[in-house]
Amino acid sequence: MELLAHISPMFVLLVFVGTLIGIIFGAIPGMTATMAVAVCLPLTYSLGLQEGLALLLGLYVGGISGGLVPAILLNIPGTPASIATTFDGHPMNQRGEGEIALKLGIFASLFGGIFSLVALYFFAPALADFAIKFSYVEKFLIIFFALTIMGALCSNMLVGVFSGVLGVLVSLVGAYSTDKGGNGEYRLMFEFMEPYLSSGFSLLPVLIGVFGLSSILIEAEEGVPATASTTGTATARQKKFRLTIFRGQGVNLFRSAFIGTFVGLLPGVGGSAASIMSYSQAKAFSKDPQSYGKGNPAGIIASEASNNGLTGGALIPLLSLGIPGDATTAILIGAFTLQGVQVGPLFISGNTDVWNMIIVAMLLANIFMFAMMYFAIRHIARIVTVPKYILLPIILVMCVVGSYTINYGIMFDVWTLFLFGLFGYLAHRIGLEIAPFIIGFILGPSAEIYFVKSLESFGTLTIFFTKSWIAGVLWLLIALSIAMSVWMAGSAGRAARDPK
Amino acid sequence: MPAAAPSTDLKIGTSHPEAEHLMQHSSIFDVTIDFSRSHLIFPTMMAILLCILGLAILATRWRGIAASLRSDGHWPSGIDQPRFFGTLVLILVYFLAMPVVGGLFPNRGFGFLLCSAPFMFALSVLYMHGRDTRKLGIAFLSALIATTLIWYLMASVFNLTLP
Amino acid sequence: MTRFFTELGLAAGLALISTAGAQAQEFPSNVRVVIGSTSTGGDTYQASSFIASALSEKLGINAKVDAVGPTEAFKAIARDPSGSTIMIHHDQSYLGYLYGIKGYEDIFATYKIGPTLAVNPGNAYLVPKNSPYQTIGDVLKAAESGTRVRVAIQPGGVSEIGFSALKNAAKIASPGSEANIVPVNTGSQADKDQLLFDGQADVINGSVQSNEQYTRLAADDQKAMRFVWLTAEGSTIAGGNESGYGETGRDALAQFASPNASVTLDGSSDFTFDKVFFMMFNKDMDPALVAKIDAALKEIYAEGKLAETLKANFFVPAYRPTDEAAAYLQKKNDDYAKVIEAIRQ
Repeated sequence: MELLAHISPMFVLLVFVGTLIGIIFGAIPGMTATMAVAVCLPLTYSLGLQEGLALLLGLYVGGISGGLVPAILLNIPGTPASIATTFDGHPMNQRGEGEIALKLGIFASLFGGIFSLVALYFFAPALADFAIKFSYVEKFLIIFFALTIMGALCSNMLVGVFSGVLGVLVSLVGAYSTDKGGNGEYRLMFEFMEPYLSSGFSLLPVLIGVFGLSSILIEAEEGVPATASTTGTATARQKKFRLTIFRGQGVNLFRSAFIGTFVGLLPGVGGSAASIMSYSQAKAFSKDPQSYGKGNPAGIIASEASNNGLTGGALIPLLSLGIPGDATTAILIGAFTLQGVQVGPLFISGNTDVWNMIIVAMLLANIFMFAMMYFAIRHIARIVTVPKYILLPIILVMCVVGSYTINYGIMFDVWTLFLFGLFGYLAHRIGLEIAPFIIGFILGPSAEIYFVKSLESFGTLTIFFTKSWIAGVLWLLIALSIAMSVWMAGSAGRAARDPK
Repeated sequence: MPAAAPSTDLKIGTSHPEAEHLMQHSSIFDVTIDFSRSHLIFPTMMAILLCILGLAILATRWRGIAASLRSDGHWPSGIDQPRFFGTLVLILVYFLAMPVVGGLFPNRGFGFLLCSAPFMFALSVLYMHGRDTRKLGIAFLSALIATTLIWYLMASVFNLTLP
Repeated sequence: MTRFFTELGLAAGLALISTAGAQAQEFPSNVRVVIGSTSTGGDTYQASSFIASALSEKLGINAKVDAVGPTEAFKAIARDPSGSTIMIHHDQSYLGYLYGIKGYEDIFATYKIGPTLAVNPGNAYLVPKNSPYQTIGDVLKAAESGTRVRVAIQPGGVSEIGFSALKNAAKIASPGSEANIVPVNTGSQADKDQLLFDGQADVINGSVQSNEQYTRLAADDQKAMRFVWLTAEGSTIAGGNESGYGETGRDALAQFASPNASVTLDGSSDFTFDKVFFMMFNKDMDPALVAKIDAALKEIYAEGKLAETLKANFFVPAYRPTDEAAAYLQKKNDDYAKVIEAIRQ
């Protein structure tokens, strides 16, 4: 077997170590897969190509997967791609089903990871050729599609959309970045803010501010009740995890893994969009959309299958076009170059050995990820039994470390954490919705650049409808998503007026 | 004297003579983007949308909003004020102190180490109910061990910059 | 673990004594190298980490590279005159100012220019493989004869300077024809490539490193491209790795650079642009420390190990001590200022 020729004990060990460190990084709020790969990159200089890649790919898979742990147990997404996991994961945890939620997430992650790996192995060049059919116009429509979920996320559609648009607006503060093709001019801020905000607010501090710090403030306001950490204890009701929970979820699993892989392979669209989109699709096609956001297992499946689908997806443009699909794979390019491997359209055909090794490493990483997390879950889930007066300060300090290190040592990012912690608290007081806000914040900059560049290139608004058949399909999905939101808002309204 | 950023009103659609001809029949959907002003397009759109949505919310829910403004028991009454404001003050002091202390020993992360431990301990004590020696001891150890461990891993093992 | 306790003890000990002034002659033991890029996968990070680790070894210090981006990096060195923070960046740091991009200041007035380190000779312009333009000269001729040529660039710096040079050359050849060379302002390399695939650009700015494989694709592939111009000087490329990059050798690459591919600067000499990496320090940093860095780098480059590493990664070693470097960069700055001024509408 040609594939197996690349496995040495050292190789396996490094994949294992990488996956483990990755999971830890992913599981700590404020630490991301990207950071895990970045900090371990120098370690690979001394390793050979095979060993170096084994470690880095393990980190990548582990880092993406670990994010589900704090999302479910603490309601803080460990990585931006696990936001949608909090929607149903945390309610399940509050019902005392944290362990079930975690195991569900891990199964879905494994499925997503393997699905995308299969796509990578068999269809990479073909998929890459399809990906380059997506110009500014189609990419804008993809982002727009992901944004339409804002209205469906909360009980009041108007408030949800308002929060989301506010998120978009806040994300635009600072320069219209020349790195993305903007003109570098500042907007939406006063002169005294320019030294700090020239590149806007960073995503990660904002994310852990509104999810993490604000929930600590809310706890403090309630006097930090002396009970264990979450309202329900995970071990209180010994509900067992059974695979039957996946019954009827086959379509959801495949669709979500597909969306994850597909969005992953579009450079510049971004991983967070994938889990949000699969979540909204799962909800739109569900018989019982009202139960989403209240602890529906299908929500976790959608989010986790798709964010692990990213791993293989984002490697497709990297390995078959030389273009990174996301921030983490951008660092992998550096690793390849240092090892003297040139990635580009000829990579796969010219480096069969490396290519096979990557596939083996990814496969192993997914298996290790599953094994490690599945058997550690029982212990991890007990984090909620740690007294709050110990747990909350640790979380806070971790959030600070994450904010400070995410951009390699910028104090303003720590202040961003504080500002958005306060904002999250305030939003909670006045009834704004955090989830749509953060989705708007994440997708805002891409929405802007693709929208403005589409018009700049084509000079007409009609291009959004006439560009290609892909645009047509996307509009169909967008219409479906909006109709879904409106229908749900209507039925929620009727339910409120007519409580039987 | 820096030159101004290149301003070119670019319409790629007009690069061919035929296309230019077609553009003459411009419809209401046609737009020309002035690159030097393009940073304002999307923010303006979003701001307008936000205002419309805000007004719509006011229009549909003004009764509820007015009622909550009129109601008694304004914030911050009814919340655990010592813990809430204590948290805010501690965070502020912590964030302000970190870079200052760190500045004394450049690039070693000691600012983080020397500030986080007391901060964590203080926050633990603030959140504790029924403070006794045992709990204080646990909080003290936790603060000490957690910060040192984090500092060691981040600053030494992973060679990351800390304050 | 021993080091861990030593450091811990040091923290407690140092807290008691003031560190200001007393040991200014010693090089700081922990140095932060901030770079003008936020990417840890890019060329700036790569070059900087080679330099930082060589310096660490030579000076017996711990130097680590932080990818904080230009604005934050400038702020960091402006704050710290102790020598604990130094910056490595490339021509973008003055080009950003020349193009009037927010957040850039006149580096020659605001900071102390340090030694130059290496050149990335990869800045390139490409066309689709089936393009009618065979050379960069064809592109200029087309503009002269009234054809609109769309060039995809990232505005405001390294990616735009070659474009500005094209306009300048067109203007010199036939005043007014520069209006036919229009920018398609975009961002990442992926976006530039995409514009070429979509037929939304005729020429794109790219690099040898990221586009070389595309030039080896079959002509009927939608993604196939061809180099028409490398902005680096021919002599710079000659100083690089013999095997060139990928399967395109050094001599083949030199065919696309001056003097073989010519874009005129002033009617007599060619415009060239070497993307050079150099250090910048706080204006008030102790000259003794700068001298220490200069001396250390001189030894390092003389030893040749760093040069080999740089070459193997498609950089061209280009060490110039502080004084020489400042004059060299000032000259480049003035040349490019003229180009940008000439084509200003």
